Amino acid sequence: MNRATTANWNKQRYFDDVAIGDELPSITIPITLQRLVMEAGANRDLSLIHHDNDVAKATGAPGAYANTFFLMGMFERLLREWMGLQGKLKKISSLRMATFNAAGDLLRFHGTVKQQLDNKCVVLDLCAKSDRGITVTAEATVELPRRSV
Amino acid sequence: MAKPAWGKWGSWEETQGFLGKEIGKSIGADPVEKGSIRRWLEPKEFACPIHTDKTAAKGAGYNDIVAPATMAVTYGIGPYWAPGDKQEQPGDEPKQINIPVIFDVPAPCTLSFATNIDIEFFEPMLLSDEISCTSKLVAITHKELRVGKGAFLKQEDTYTNQRGEVVAVAALDIFRFVPPAEETV
Repeated sequence: MNRATTANWNKQRYFDDVAIGDELPSITIPITLQRLVMEAGANRDLSLIHHDNDVAKATGAPGAYANTFFLMGMFERLLREWMGLQGKLKKISSLRMATFNAAGDLLRFHGTVKQQLDNKCVVLDLCAKSDRGITVTAEATVELPRRSV
Repeated sequence: MAKPAWGKWGSWEETQGFLGKEIGKSIGADPVEKGSIRRWLEPKEFACPIHTDKTAAKGAGYNDIVAPATMAVTYGIGPYWAPGDKQEQPGDEPKQINIPVIFDVPAPCTLSFATNIDIEFFEPMLLSDEISCTSKLVAITHKELRVGKGAFLKQEDTYTNQRGEVVAVAALDIFRFVPPAEETV
């Protein structure tokens, strides 16, 4: 299926509209060697394991695999598309790799609202999954505007 | 004695000597600008207009186009080559992204892997901002895991703009270790 991004940038999410357990619209993206090369050039982590299949395989990986900069950036995209333009990313914490996100994998990024703080911030559980199962987990804190009363 | 595969070799006493100290500083190769933002958004198929359009950014409360927050780590990386550096020769080791806690802090270890990353964001990064990164070793926790005996080293990276404002603070936990087979010879 050929589709453009479904994010609606005219929609702003407010703290008042959020409930614990809310799920963010997920994002699916194929990890190809071309994408990894584009990403390495753009994020400037040029370690060979992230764009050279032979080097990555020699370290036990199934192939070249995405670096943490890409995964953090994809989490930012997931959060931004849900928050809207006035939301602010405050923190990504406990980012942990469970397994490789390698060329040939289809990655799906997910987020769930876990907690509300200080009448403005929201804490979310994040993860990415592939056919290997959960590949990376993290927690994020974002700040959302309040509806004026 | 085990030979280091990568990372500076030394005793745990030498490692301890770096605790609480600055272990690295890098000055980002390029200032924040539209071209590098666009190339960063491209492989993520990330379409948010506050990163590309001044009017949208102003509507969201910024003075100008703002870079994605997680780009701080990219804008803090120094050049892989700069005028005055030696020219690469055939057979030279490939260049790695510099992680001071691995490459500049000595430890009696041959292998390492990252276990956990936390990053907190503060001031936004606006066009023409210049980002630098200062790294400190803030904790050493000795541990024996299934993969071998070693220690978790915590590196704290503070990303600052040219006005001295903190843009982001990241904490990176790296386990450096010796596999059991290499421990004693």
